[in-house]
Amino acid sequence: MNNLKLIILFLALSILFSCASNQNKSYVSSDSISVSEFSSSVELLVSDTNFLEDEILKINAKNPSVQRILVNSDAYLKEGKLIQANSELERALRITKKEGAIYLRLAHLRYIQGLLDESKSFASRALLIKEISSWERLLLNVYLKRPI
Amino acid sequence: MKIKFTLGSLGIIALIIVFVISAAVVAIIDSRVTNKLEGVLWTIPAKVYSRSLDLAEGSKVNKSNLLRELNMLSYSENKNPSKPGEFIYKKNSLKIFLRGYEEQKSGLFEIFFQDGQISKVTNQLGISVDIVKFEPIAIGGMYPSHMEDRILLSWPQVPTILIDTILSVEDQNFFNHNGISFRSISRAFFTNVKAGDIEQGGSTITQQLAKSLFFTPEQTIKRKVMEAIAALLIEFHYSKEEILLAYINDVFLAQSGKRAVHGFGMGAQHFFGTSISNLETDQIALLVGMLKGPSLYNPRRNPNNATNRRNLVLGILAKRRHINSSSLEEYKSRALRVVSPNFRSETKYPAFHDLVRLELRENYEDSELRTQGLKIQTNLDPVLQDSLENNIKKTKAQLIKKYGKRLIELEGAAMAVDISTGEIKAVVGSSNPSKFGFNRSINAIRPIGSLVKPFIYLTALNKYDEYHLTTILDDSKLSVKSGGEIWEPNNFDKKFHGKIPLHVALWQSYNIASARLGMELGYDSVQEIFRKLGIDKSIERYPSLFIGSFEMSPFDAIQSYQTIAADGFYSPLRSIRDIKDLKGDIDLSYPYKIEQRIRPEPVHLLKFAMKQTFISGTARGYPGKTIESWQAGGKTGTSDDQRDSWFVGFAGDLLVLVWLGFDDNRPTPLTGRSGALEVWKNFINDIEPSAVEKNKLPRVKYVWTDKKDGLVSGEKCKNSLLVPFIIGTEPNTIPPVRNKCASRPNRNKSDVMQKLKKVFEEGQG
Repeated sequence: MNNLKLIILFLALSILFSCASNQNKSYVSSDSISVSEFSSSVELLVSDTNFLEDEILKINAKNPSVQRILVNSDAYLKEGKLIQANSELERALRITKKEGAIYLRLAHLRYIQGLLDESKSFASRALLIKEISSWERLLLNVYLKRPI
Repeated sequence: MKIKFTLGSLGIIALIIVFVISAAVVAIIDSRVTNKLEGVLWTIPAKVYSRSLDLAEGSKVNKSNLLRELNMLSYSENKNPSKPGEFIYKKNSLKIFLRGYEEQKSGLFEIFFQDGQISKVTNQLGISVDIVKFEPIAIGGMYPSHMEDRILLSWPQVPTILIDTILSVEDQNFFNHNGISFRSISRAFFTNVKAGDIEQGGSTITQQLAKSLFFTPEQTIKRKVMEAIAALLIEFHYSKEEILLAYINDVFLAQSGKRAVHGFGMGAQHFFGTSISNLETDQIALLVGMLKGPSLYNPRRNPNNATNRRNLVLGILAKRRHINSSSLEEYKSRALRVVSPNFRSETKYPAFHDLVRLELRENYEDSELRTQGLKIQTNLDPVLQDSLENNIKKTKAQLIKKYGKRLIELEGAAMAVDISTGEIKAVVGSSNPSKFGFNRSINAIRPIGSLVKPFIYLTALNKYDEYHLTTILDDSKLSVKSGGEIWEPNNFDKKFHGKIPLHVALWQSYNIASARLGMELGYDSVQEIFRKLGIDKSIERYPSLFIGSFEMSPFDAIQSYQTIAADGFYSPLRSIRDIKDLKGDIDLSYPYKIEQRIRPEPVHLLKFAMKQTFISGTARGYPGKTIESWQAGGKTGTSDDQRDSWFVGFAGDLLVLVWLGFDDNRPTPLTGRSGALEVWKNFINDIEPSAVEKNKLPRVKYVWTDKKDGLVSGEKCKNSLLVPFIIGTEPNTIPPVRNKCASRPNRNKSDVMQKLKKVFEEGQG
């Protein structure tokens, strides 16, 4: 339990830091948000897989053709057709390897397939992408830190 | 007791014997009928396909490679593409009538290019569709002994015009007879006499189907009787629709090498490169016309005969009012439009086929592969495969020209893989790549020479608190007792280079510095890195290991470099993408697997040193801009007495490895640079990989250092190089001689912020 709290605190700090250092002002809300509010949001992400999945599927690819494929993949995921969902994600990766949205879904797919090491590896791999947003970075960190 | 035979009883016995024999004959024929119509006819060999190409908005594209692929897919150029299989290439766009594949509908599409990327994909109405998919190239199959190949059509897939044409030409009375039709025979006789040519056959469709049950072509009375019995039995067992469908799937249309093309589904693919549903009436007339004589009316071999026969069939269709007279003239005026065959029974790419078979063997029985109609989609990129094959042959010819006939027996192997995903794109297992036989890419186990050095240096760089790129190594004379003898390694240039930074020792491939480093690191540490790179084989504990006595196959060698090229993420190499059953559902998939084996920072440092191989080392020669855009890096390897010439290099998304040598292990005049690298360069220059971006590594910092002493230098200082360091390991000593030109470390940020940043970044892989 203590570990979980530490993870949540770490992620909350991460997002605060990410927002502060991000050039994109759209992430900086005009309303101030307390650390405890961050903590509770992050706690949801860490503890509730369905909630996390919803957040991941909201992340769109910048490239419209990749986005079209991700829509297919998301539909397969919702139907429980994980092999087909994976095929679509790999198809998207062949178009570009610069979209965090693809790797996030791969990390999530492997997580729900029970392949936890692979899930972490996909998350780590995605963190090397240059154009990744702070929000994507935070979600990827969830997979790196999720308790098994 | 004597039995008296009367004439009557003898007659009864004779009748019984005749009855028993007849019953046995009928039973045999019956078993043939059911076996064929429920067995052989429905067994379909597994087919192996290349990857299907997606052209998507935003994806990079190499126009010349795309044109090569269209050519391989038998697309033809037409100013106004209006039929499946036609395209026109303009300066910045490709207008193409796709044949359709899986979920991709056939239709006219336009693909626009800008700055080496696809900027837009539109349909016929000009509406953006984002992405189009090309059909894959069939590259081989797993055939049963009878070598029959077919694409099974179900009743709804059979076009009405095909049924009308078959019935008009072959058997007008099909739905009214019981297998044999004396009316048909006599009508065919009169029709043919009247026409002065054979417009109709006398055999019913059922008889023709029965004929195919007997695999020998003999024409005897006995055979005719058996065929007639078989026809009656077929009619007895099956409905008219089932018989017609079996006929449509079974008729013999062509011989392609050892493979026999059966049925209209496969016929459409074989002659027109598309599915039966895409064929027009004239094309269907051509196929139906061929039934009379598949060889005589083969449109590729005998186009005039085929045209005349097609026109005759079209005339029959007009006579039976299936087409009107204006359509008749229009169809008759058309060219045959057959495409070059793009399917071979024996794969064009035997080395790749070997890998596919090896992967399949783990999950499928041979009988399943030969009968279940599985569709094996591989990762093979046909353009890369062709280029790799051509360039190994071309380079061998160039080397023979340079070094003489002693290289005539020179052999080779090469592989190209996608760095991140481990997809195998191309494989060559011989200097004569289309030849079946010893596949050197997986079976030639050879000393890897200096290809081993990056593994040793990675062992060091992975201990980043002890080693970095400017750690000074010793390249002076070395004598070691090994196996009871004194071992004294030499450098290729037979010189000693004294104290040198680690990165220089690697890209200059100095043996003595590398051996000393390996011994310093110890066998256990090196073995551990070997394991992380996917090498399970135990290392022999001799110091010669550190400079290249270690033996590997090209396949295993490129696998271990995949982990390096992919920044420490190991992905098993795979030739198969997925396997679908006859219904098109995925039966088995081979997904992208990934495992972070080494942190990306030490690998990044190693890749920097491997990039120097292209800038100043053994693979120098490419312009700096090109090396940067490809994020290229590589390593040459030459074994003792130049018996093996190796090069492995990454450029863009591709990792390519080449080996050259003799099968009997005799010395060659080649080094890694003069042999294998030449193949690599010819291939890479031909396919021109796309540019890739540098990764983001927040914990890596670039510092100007001196190429000789490894200490801090500056952009304006001589012999300086911008070298990456893991933050905290960078040098900070500025020698007095470089006081004026050296760059000062930036110390503006507060220590607290640095520490906070470090805490944050530690969570990021």
